[in-house]
Amino acid sequence: MTEPEHAVEQARAAAATMRAQGAYRADRPTKPADADPLENLFEWAMIDPDLREVRSTRKLGAPVTMLKLGLVRLLNQYHAELISQQTRFNVHVLGHVRRLETRIEELERKVGAQEQTRPDE
Amino acid sequence: MRVHQLLSGAGPHDAITSEAVSFRARFHAWGWDGKDYAVHVAPGLNGHIRMLKRFKPKPEDILLIHHSAGAPRLRELLALPNRKLLLYHNVTPAHWFWEHAPNVAVQCAVGREQLPALVRSVEVAAADSAFNASELETLGATRTAVIPLLVDYGRLGPPAPAHPPPPTPPTVLFVGRLSPHKHQDAVIQAFAHYRRERAADARLILVGDPISSRYLEFLRNLADTLAPGAVTIESGLSDAELGDRYRAAHVFLCLSGHEGFCIPVLEAFSQDVPVIARPAGAIPETTGDAAVLVEDSDLAVVSELIHLVVTDADLRAELRRRGQERLKLYSPDRVADRLREAVQATAATPSRW
Repeated sequence: MTEPEHAVEQARAAAATMRAQGAYRADRPTKPADADPLENLFEWAMIDPDLREVRSTRKLGAPVTMLKLGLVRLLNQYHAELISQQTRFNVHVLGHVRRLETRIEELERKVGAQEQTRPDE
Repeated sequence: MRVHQLLSGAGPHDAITSEAVSFRARFHAWGWDGKDYAVHVAPGLNGHIRMLKRFKPKPEDILLIHHSAGAPRLRELLALPNRKLLLYHNVTPAHWFWEHAPNVAVQCAVGREQLPALVRSVEVAAADSAFNASELETLGATRTAVIPLLVDYGRLGPPAPAHPPPPTPPTVLFVGRLSPHKHQDAVIQAFAHYRRERAADARLILVGDPISSRYLEFLRNLADTLAPGAVTIESGLSDAELGDRYRAAHVFLCLSGHEGFCIPVLEAFSQDVPVIARPAGAIPETTGDAAVLVEDSDLAVVSELIHLVVTDADLRAELRRRGQERLKLYSPDRVADRLREAVQATAATPSRW
C-alpha cells in the first residue's frame, strides 16, 4: 500500500518513467509570456461591455434577459456617449502615465550617467 | 441578547449566506434575538435576509459582521456605538479577477482596503481559519478567534458504501466557483493528461457558478480542445444533486491558487471521496493529513497522482479513514461552541465608544 505521505514521491517517479517511455509529450502546458502591464491597461481603457453579462440568473429567466437586452438597445445612444467619455478619460490618463514613465526613464539614465562620471570622494 | 448579522451580499448558493442562516438557527436555540441584513440580497432570499438600508439597531445590540467583499456604507456602520464582532472569511486578492470579472475585482480591491478599518473598529476579530486570522493579526488585531465555517455536511446525504467503489468510468470532481483563482483550467489540463495517458474513458465534473459568462466560455473552450466530450460543467445544483456528484466521484481534485477555508474538501471527506489538493492558503490547515497535497507545477505528476488514488484501494481506504477523522474537528456543535464563546466575549468587552 502507498502511504498518503509517499504518494507524491511515487507519482513523480511514475511521471518520470512514463516520460522516458514517450508519454506526457503533447499538450505540455506552457505558461504564457507575461503581458506588458501598460499594454493590459490600454486594452482595458477601451470600455467594451460584454452583453453576455446582461442576463437573468433566475430559473425561467429568458424573458427577463430579453427585456434587459431590449432596454440596453433602447439606451444605446446614452451608453455610447457614456462609453466614449469614459474611454476618452482613460486613454488620456494612460497617455499621461506613459509620458511620465518615459521622463522618469530619461531622468534615471541622466542620474546614472552623472554618478558614473563623478570622481570618487 | 440581540445579535444582528451583516453581510455584503446574500445569495442562494453562497456559503456565507448558508452559514448566516445556520448561525441564526443556533442563536434562536440559545434564546438570542436579532435579524440578518445584507447590502445585496438575491431574489428568493427576501424575508430570510433583509436589506441593509432597513437596519436600525439599538445601542446594546451586538453586530456580527461577515466580511468577504467590499461593502458600501461601511464607515457609517463602523461609526455605530454597538459592540462588534468581525468574522473574516477572506477576500480574494483582486489580481485574480481583473481580466475576466472586473466588477468582482473592484469589490475585492475595496474589501481588502476596508479590512484595516474593520480591524480597528471591532471589539473582537475572528476568522474562519488560522490563515485568515493571520491576515487580521498582520493588520494589528491583538486577540483573534478562529471559528471554522459552520456547514451541515449531512445535507448531501449519506456517503456511498466504500465497497464496491463507484462504478467506472473513473470520475474526477471539483466543486467551487468557476473562477480564475480556483484554477479549473489547470484541473482540465491535468485531467486531459490523465485521460490520454491512463484512462481514456475518464470524465471530469466541474460544479460551480461561473464568475462571468466569458470565464465560463473560456473553460468550455479549453475543455473542448483538450478533452472533448469528457468534461461536464454544472451550476445551480440542489444539495441532493451535489451529493450525487460527490458519491459518483473517484477523486476530488483541487488546484486552487488561493483558498481562505475550502468547504468542498470537507464535503468530499464527508462523502468518502479521496482528495488531492494544492497546499494553497488555508488548504493544509483544513485538510490536515487527510489529503494528498501536491505542490508540483508539472501536471504529469498530478495526473499520476489521480491514477494512483483511483487504482490503489488501500490508499483510498486510508484517505477515507483520515478524512472522517478530520471532519470531526469541524462538527457543527464544535463550531457552534466557538461561535458562542466569541459572541459572549464581544458582549463582555466594553464598547470602544
